[in-house]
Amino acid sequence: MLYQEKVPGGKLVCMEIWPSQDGSAASKVKITGDFFLHPEDSITDIENSLVGLSLACSQNELTNKIQNSLNKNNAQLIGVTPEQLAEIFLKTTMQAEVSK
Amino acid sequence: MKWRVIDYTENTASMNMAIDESVSESVAKGESSPTIRFYGWKPSAVSIGYFQSLEREVDLAKCSEFGVEFVRRRTGGGAVYHDNLGEITYSIIAKEELFPKDIIASYKIICGYICDSLGLLNIASEFKPINDIITNNKKISGNAQTRRNGVLLQHGTILYKVDVDKMFSLLKVPDEKIKDKMIATVKERVTSIEQQNSSITKDQLYRALVNGFTKDKEIVFDSLSQPEILRAEELTNTRYKTKEWNFMR
Repeated sequence: MLYQEKVPGGKLVCMEIWPSQDGSAASKVKITGDFFLHPEDSITDIENSLVGLSLACSQNELTNKIQNSLNKNNAQLIGVTPEQLAEIFLKTTMQAEVSK
Repeated sequence: MKWRVIDYTENTASMNMAIDESVSESVAKGESSPTIRFYGWKPSAVSIGYFQSLEREVDLAKCSEFGVEFVRRRTGGGAVYHDNLGEITYSIIAKEELFPKDIIASYKIICGYICDSLGLLNIASEFKPINDIITNNKKISGNAQTRRNGVLLQHGTILYKVDVDKMFSLLKVPDEKIKDKMIATVKERVTSIEQQNSSITKDQLYRALVNGFTKDKEIVFDSLSQPEILRAEELTNTRYKTKEWNFMR
Protein backbone atom coordinates (compact mmCIF):
# COMPACT_ATOMS: atom_id res chain seq x y z
CA MET A 1 0.00 0.00 0.00
CA LEU A 2 1.44 3.33 -1.02
CA TYR A 3 0.10 6.84 -0.67
CA GLN A 4 1.77 10.22 -0.93
CA GLU A 5 0.66 13.70 -0.15
CA LYS A 6 2.12 17.16 0.02
CA VAL A 7 1.12 18.39 3.44
CA PRO A 8 -0.55 21.83 3.25
CA GLY A 9 2.13 24.41 4.04
CA GLY A 10 4.60 21.59 4.57
CA LYS A 11 6.47 18.86 2.78
CA LEU A 12 5.82 15.80 0.63
CA VAL A 13 5.36 12.58 2.59
CA CYS A 14 5.11 9.12 1.05
CA MET A 15 3.96 6.23 3.21
CA GLU A 16 4.33 2.57 2.31
CA ILE A 17 2.66 -0.06 4.45
CA TRP A 18 3.12 -3.79 4.08
CA PRO A 19 0.13 -5.56 5.69
CA SER A 20 0.43 -8.69 7.79
CA GLN A 21 -0.56 -12.04 6.20
CA ASP A 22 -4.15 -11.75 7.43
CA GLY A 23 -4.27 -8.13 6.24
CA SER A 24 -5.23 -6.74 9.62
CA ALA A 25 -2.05 -5.03 10.80
CA ALA A 26 1.06 -3.27 9.52
CA SER A 27 4.03 -5.62 9.28
CA LYS A 28 6.42 -3.03 7.82
CA VAL A 29 6.20 0.74 7.36
CA LYS A 30 8.44 3.02 5.31
CA ILE A 31 8.16 6.81 5.33
CA THR A 32 9.96 8.78 2.62
CA GLY A 33 9.77 12.36 1.40
CA ASP A 34 11.37 15.79 1.54
CA PHE A 35 10.49 16.59 5.17
CA PHE A 36 13.03 17.13 7.95
CA LEU A 37 13.53 15.14 11.14
CA HIS A 38 16.26 15.80 13.68
CA PRO A 39 18.00 13.46 14.42
CA GLU A 40 17.45 11.84 11.05
CA ASP A 41 18.07 8.24 12.08
CA SER A 42 15.10 8.34 14.47
CA ILE A 43 12.92 7.73 11.40
CA THR A 44 13.52 4.00 11.90
CA ASP A 45 12.09 4.18 15.39
CA ILE A 46 9.01 6.07 14.14
CA GLU A 47 8.46 3.45 11.43
CA ASN A 48 8.91 0.62 13.92
CA SER A 49 6.48 2.26 16.35
CA LEU A 50 3.74 1.78 13.74
CA VAL A 51 4.54 -1.86 13.03
CA GLY A 52 2.02 -4.26 14.54
CA LEU A 53 -0.73 -1.65 14.74
CA SER A 54 -4.13 -2.53 13.37
CA LEU A 55 -4.82 -0.98 9.98
CA ALA A 56 -8.12 0.16 11.46
CA CYS A 57 -6.64 1.83 14.54
CA SER A 58 -7.60 5.35 15.47
CA GLN A 59 -5.77 8.50 14.39
CA ASN A 60 -5.27 9.32 18.06
CA GLU A 61 -3.51 6.05 18.75
CA LEU A 62 -1.26 6.54 15.72
CA THR A 63 -0.47 10.12 16.72
CA ASN A 64 0.41 8.97 20.25
CA LYS A 65 2.75 6.27 18.95
CA ILE A 66 4.53 8.78 16.70
CA GLN A 67 4.71 11.41 19.43
CA ASN A 68 6.07 8.88 21.94
CA SER A 69 8.74 7.85 19.46
CA LEU A 70 9.71 11.49 18.91
CA ASN A 71 9.86 12.09 22.68
CA LYS A 72 11.96 8.97 23.23
CA ASN A 73 14.49 10.14 20.63
CA ASN A 74 14.29 13.80 21.62
CA ALA A 75 13.44 14.28 17.95
CA GLN A 76 11.79 17.10 16.06
CA LEU A 77 9.74 16.74 12.87
CA ILE A 78 9.65 19.68 10.46
CA GLY A 79 7.36 19.97 7.46
CA VAL A 80 4.82 17.45 8.75
CA THR A 81 3.22 17.02 12.17
CA PRO A 82 2.66 13.72 14.04
CA GLU A 83 -1.10 14.22 13.50
CA GLN A 84 -0.59 14.60 9.76
CA LEU A 85 1.65 11.51 9.64
CA ALA A 86 -1.09 9.57 11.43
CA GLU A 87 -3.64 10.83 8.92
CA ILE A 88 -1.39 9.79 6.04
CA PHE A 89 -1.09 6.30 7.58
CA LEU A 90 -4.88 6.00 7.54
CA LYS A 91 -5.14 7.41 4.02
CA THR A 92 -2.58 4.82 2.88
CA THR A 93 -4.75 2.01 4.23
CA MET A 94 -7.87 3.58 2.68
CA GLN A 95 -6.08 3.92 -0.65
CA ALA A 96 -5.67 0.15 -0.58
CA GLU A 97 -9.39 -0.25 0.17
CA VAL A 98 -10.27 1.89 -2.86
CA SER A 99 -7.99 -0.07 -5.18
CA LYS A 100 -9.39 -3.49 -4.09
CA MET B 1 35.04 33.92 17.78
CA LYS B 2 37.11 33.35 14.64
CA TRP B 3 35.43 31.68 11.68
CA ARG B 4 37.34 29.64 9.13
CA VAL B 5 36.39 30.31 5.51
CA ILE B 6 37.20 27.63 2.96
CA ASP B 7 37.43 29.06 -0.53
CA TYR B 8 35.36 27.64 -3.40
CA THR B 9 36.50 24.22 -4.58
CA GLU B 10 34.86 21.73 -6.92
CA ASN B 11 34.58 18.11 -5.91
CA THR B 12 32.69 14.94 -6.69
CA ALA B 13 29.28 14.54 -5.08
CA SER B 14 30.48 11.93 -2.58
CA MET B 15 33.50 14.03 -1.60
CA ASN B 16 31.39 17.15 -1.10
CA MET B 17 29.10 15.37 1.33
CA ALA B 18 32.04 13.62 3.02
CA ILE B 19 33.85 16.95 3.59
CA ASP B 20 30.75 18.44 5.22
CA GLU B 21 30.61 15.46 7.57
CA SER B 22 34.33 15.34 8.34
CA VAL B 23 34.35 19.07 9.15
CA SER B 24 31.27 18.55 11.37
CA GLU B 25 33.19 15.88 13.26
CA SER B 26 36.27 18.05 13.73
CA VAL B 27 34.14 21.01 14.87
CA ALA B 28 32.35 18.70 17.33
CA LYS B 29 35.70 17.59 18.75
CA GLY B 30 36.84 21.20 19.07
CA GLU B 31 39.65 20.58 16.59
CA SER B 32 38.37 23.09 14.03
CA SER B 33 36.84 26.55 14.21
CA PRO B 34 33.31 27.19 13.01
CA THR B 35 33.54 26.92 9.25
CA ILE B 36 31.99 28.50 6.20
CA ARG B 37 32.70 26.53 3.07
CA PHE B 38 31.86 27.26 -0.58
CA TYR B 39 31.87 24.56 -3.22
CA GLY B 40 30.74 23.30 -6.58
CA TRP B 41 29.95 19.90 -8.02
CA LYS B 42 32.24 18.36 -10.63
CA PRO B 43 30.82 16.54 -12.44
CA SER B 44 27.28 17.89 -12.08
CA ALA B 45 25.27 15.83 -9.62
CA VAL B 46 21.88 15.20 -8.08
CA SER B 47 21.68 15.15 -4.31
CA ILE B 48 18.66 13.71 -2.54
CA GLY B 49 17.38 14.33 0.96
CA TYR B 50 18.05 11.83 3.74
CA PHE B 51 14.48 10.51 3.71
CA GLN B 52 13.96 10.28 -0.03
CA SER B 53 13.93 7.17 -2.15
CA LEU B 54 16.74 7.42 -4.72
CA GLU B 55 14.99 5.22 -7.25
CA ARG B 56 11.74 7.10 -6.91
CA GLU B 57 13.32 10.56 -7.20
CA VAL B 58 16.15 10.15 -9.69
CA ASP B 59 16.31 8.78 -13.25
CA LEU B 60 19.51 6.80 -12.76
CA ALA B 61 19.73 5.79 -16.43
CA LYS B 62 19.62 9.46 -17.48
CA CYS B 63 22.27 10.33 -14.86
CA SER B 64 24.50 7.66 -16.33
CA GLU B 65 23.83 8.90 -19.87
CA PHE B 66 24.72 12.51 -18.97
CA GLY B 67 27.62 11.65 -16.65
CA VAL B 68 25.73 13.12 -13.68
CA GLU B 69 26.56 11.72 -10.24
CA PHE B 70 24.11 11.15 -7.41
CA VAL B 71 24.43 11.13 -3.64
CA ARG B 72 22.22 10.98 -0.56
CA ARG B 73 22.71 13.89 1.84
CA ARG B 74 22.71 13.58 5.63
CA THR B 75 20.17 16.41 5.66
CA GLY B 76 16.48 16.15 4.87
CA GLY B 77 14.75 18.13 2.15
CA GLY B 78 14.27 17.47 -1.53
CA ALA B 79 16.23 16.35 -4.56
CA VAL B 80 18.48 19.02 -6.07
CA TYR B 81 20.23 19.09 -9.42
CA HIS B 82 23.64 20.71 -8.89
CA ASP B 83 24.77 21.88 -12.30
CA ASN B 84 28.53 22.41 -12.46
CA LEU B 85 28.10 25.84 -14.04
CA GLY B 86 24.71 26.77 -12.68
CA GLU B 87 25.05 27.21 -8.93
CA ILE B 88 27.21 27.81 -5.88
CA THR B 89 26.78 25.65 -2.80
CA TYR B 90 27.74 26.68 0.72
CA SER B 91 27.93 24.92 4.02
CA ILE B 92 28.07 26.44 7.46
CA ILE B 93 29.27 24.20 10.24
CA ALA B 94 29.39 25.40 13.83
CA LYS B 95 28.63 24.45 17.41
CA GLU B 96 24.87 24.54 17.95
CA GLU B 97 25.14 27.12 20.71
CA LEU B 98 26.17 29.77 18.17
CA PHE B 99 22.64 29.64 16.74
CA PRO B 100 19.12 29.61 18.19
CA LYS B 101 17.82 26.27 19.42
CA ASP B 102 14.72 26.85 17.31
CA ILE B 103 15.48 25.34 13.92
CA ILE B 104 13.43 27.73 11.79
CA ALA B 105 14.98 30.71 13.65
CA SER B 106 18.44 29.38 12.80
CA TYR B 107 17.43 28.88 9.14
CA LYS B 108 16.33 32.49 9.14
CA ILE B 109 19.69 33.73 10.42
CA ILE B 110 21.80 31.69 7.99
CA CYS B 111 19.47 32.36 5.05
CA GLY B 112 19.81 36.01 6.06
CA TYR B 113 23.49 35.81 5.07
CA ILE B 114 22.36 34.83 1.57
CA CYS B 115 19.77 37.63 1.44
CA ASP B 116 22.53 40.07 2.52
CA SER B 117 24.77 38.69 -0.25
CA LEU B 118 22.09 39.07 -2.90
CA GLY B 119 21.40 42.56 -1.59
CA LEU B 120 25.02 43.44 -2.43
CA LEU B 121 24.10 42.55 -6.02
CA ASN B 122 20.96 44.70 -5.78
CA ILE B 123 18.72 41.63 -5.80
CA ALA B 124 16.03 41.83 -3.14
CA SER B 125 15.21 38.48 -1.54
CA GLU B 126 13.61 37.07 1.57
CA PHE B 127 13.62 33.91 3.65
CA LYS B 128 10.54 31.78 3.08
CA PRO B 129 10.07 29.11 5.74
CA ILE B 130 10.75 26.28 5.93
CA ASN B 131 13.98 26.38 3.97
CA ASP B 132 13.78 28.54 0.86
CA ILE B 133 14.86 32.00 -0.24
CA ILE B 134 12.69 33.77 -2.75
CA THR B 135 13.15 36.77 -4.96
CA ASN B 136 10.17 38.28 -6.77
CA ASN B 137 8.15 35.37 -5.34
CA LYS B 138 10.37 32.81 -7.06
CA LYS B 139 12.77 30.39 -5.39
CA ILE B 140 16.45 31.26 -5.86
CA SER B 141 17.97 29.21 -3.05
CA GLY B 142 17.18 25.98 -1.21
CA ASN B 143 18.72 25.03 2.12
CA ALA B 144 18.87 22.05 4.46
CA GLN B 145 20.05 21.66 8.03
CA THR B 146 20.97 18.91 10.42
CA ARG B 147 22.26 18.87 13.96
CA ARG B 148 24.44 16.08 15.31
CA ASN B 149 26.75 15.82 18.30
CA GLY B 150 26.18 19.44 19.23
CA VAL B 151 27.06 20.71 15.75
CA LEU B 152 24.81 22.50 13.29
CA LEU B 153 25.41 21.83 9.61
CA GLN B 154 23.45 23.81 7.07
CA HIS B 155 24.14 23.58 3.39
CA GLY B 156 22.32 25.10 0.47
CA THR B 157 22.56 26.25 -3.09
CA ILE B 158 22.21 29.61 -4.76
CA LEU B 159 21.04 29.29 -8.35
CA TYR B 160 23.20 31.20 -10.79
CA LYS B 161 21.72 29.77 -13.96
CA VAL B 162 18.87 27.30 -14.13
CA ASP B 163 18.01 24.73 -16.76
CA VAL B 164 14.65 23.35 -15.68
CA ASP B 165 14.38 21.00 -18.69
CA LYS B 166 17.74 19.40 -17.85
CA MET B 167 16.71 19.21 -14.20
CA PHE B 168 13.52 17.34 -15.09
CA SER B 169 15.33 14.99 -17.43
CA LEU B 170 17.25 13.77 -14.36
CA LEU B 171 14.55 13.93 -11.69
CA LYS B 172 11.49 11.72 -11.77
CA VAL B 173 8.01 13.13 -11.31
CA PRO B 174 5.23 11.26 -9.51
CA ASP B 175 3.02 11.23 -12.57
CA GLU B 176 4.54 11.24 -16.08
CA LYS B 177 1.21 12.41 -17.51
CA ILE B 178 1.56 15.79 -15.82
CA LYS B 179 5.32 16.15 -16.35
CA ASP B 180 4.98 19.00 -18.89
CA LYS B 181 2.67 20.88 -16.57
CA MET B 182 5.08 20.38 -13.67
CA ILE B 183 7.98 21.68 -15.73
CA ALA B 184 5.94 24.77 -16.66
CA THR B 185 5.03 25.31 -13.00
CA VAL B 186 8.64 25.00 -11.84
CA LYS B 187 9.77 27.41 -14.58
CA GLU B 188 7.28 29.90 -13.15
CA ARG B 189 8.33 29.30 -9.55
CA VAL B 190 12.14 29.14 -9.82
CA THR B 191 14.56 31.86 -10.81
CA SER B 192 18.30 32.43 -10.94
CA ILE B 193 20.80 35.25 -10.64
CA GLU B 194 21.12 35.28 -14.42
CA GLN B 195 17.38 35.73 -14.85
CA GLN B 196 17.36 38.56 -12.33
CA ASN B 197 20.33 40.38 -13.83
CA SER B 198 22.19 38.84 -16.75
CA SER B 199 25.19 41.15 -16.31
CA ILE B 200 26.18 39.53 -12.99
CA THR B 201 28.96 36.95 -13.40
CA LYS B 202 29.25 33.80 -11.32
CA ASP B 203 32.45 35.20 -9.83
CA GLN B 204 30.61 38.37 -8.75
CA LEU B 205 27.98 36.18 -7.11
CA TYR B 206 30.72 34.28 -5.28
CA ARG B 207 32.39 37.49 -4.03
CA ALA B 208 29.02 38.74 -2.81
CA LEU B 209 28.39 35.46 -0.98
CA VAL B 210 31.78 35.62 0.75
CA ASN B 211 31.03 39.19 1.84
CA GLY B 212 27.46 38.41 2.92
CA PHE B 213 28.41 35.32 4.93
CA THR B 214 31.40 36.92 6.65
CA LYS B 215 29.87 40.33 7.46
CA ASP B 216 30.44 41.21 11.14
CA LYS B 217 32.51 38.05 11.66
CA GLU B 218 36.16 37.68 12.46
CA ILE B 219 37.42 35.36 9.73
CA VAL B 220 40.48 33.59 8.46
CA PHE B 221 40.74 32.02 5.02
CA ASP B 222 42.18 28.56 5.49
CA SER B 223 42.06 25.09 3.99
CA LEU B 224 40.83 21.76 5.31
CA SER B 225 43.19 20.15 7.81
CA GLN B 226 45.01 16.97 6.84
CA PRO B 227 42.93 14.85 9.28
CA GLU B 228 39.74 16.38 7.80
CA ILE B 229 40.85 15.44 4.27
CA LEU B 230 41.80 11.90 5.29
CA ARG B 231 38.50 11.43 7.14
CA ALA B 232 36.56 12.80 4.15
CA GLU B 233 38.33 10.35 1.85
CA GLU B 234 37.42 7.55 4.24
CA LEU B 235 33.77 8.68 4.38
CA THR B 236 33.48 8.77 0.58
CA ASN B 237 34.43 5.10 0.48
CA THR B 238 32.59 3.90 3.55
CA ARG B 239 29.40 5.92 3.11
CA TYR B 240 28.75 8.37 0.31
CA LYS B 241 29.86 6.16 -2.60
CA THR B 242 28.17 3.03 -1.26
CA LYS B 243 24.96 1.45 -2.47
CA GLU B 244 23.97 0.81 1.16
CA TRP B 245 23.88 4.55 1.81
CA ASN B 246 22.58 5.90 -1.50
CA PHE B 247 19.85 3.26 -1.91
CA MET B 248 19.08 3.18 1.83
CA ARG B 249 15.44 4.24 1.42
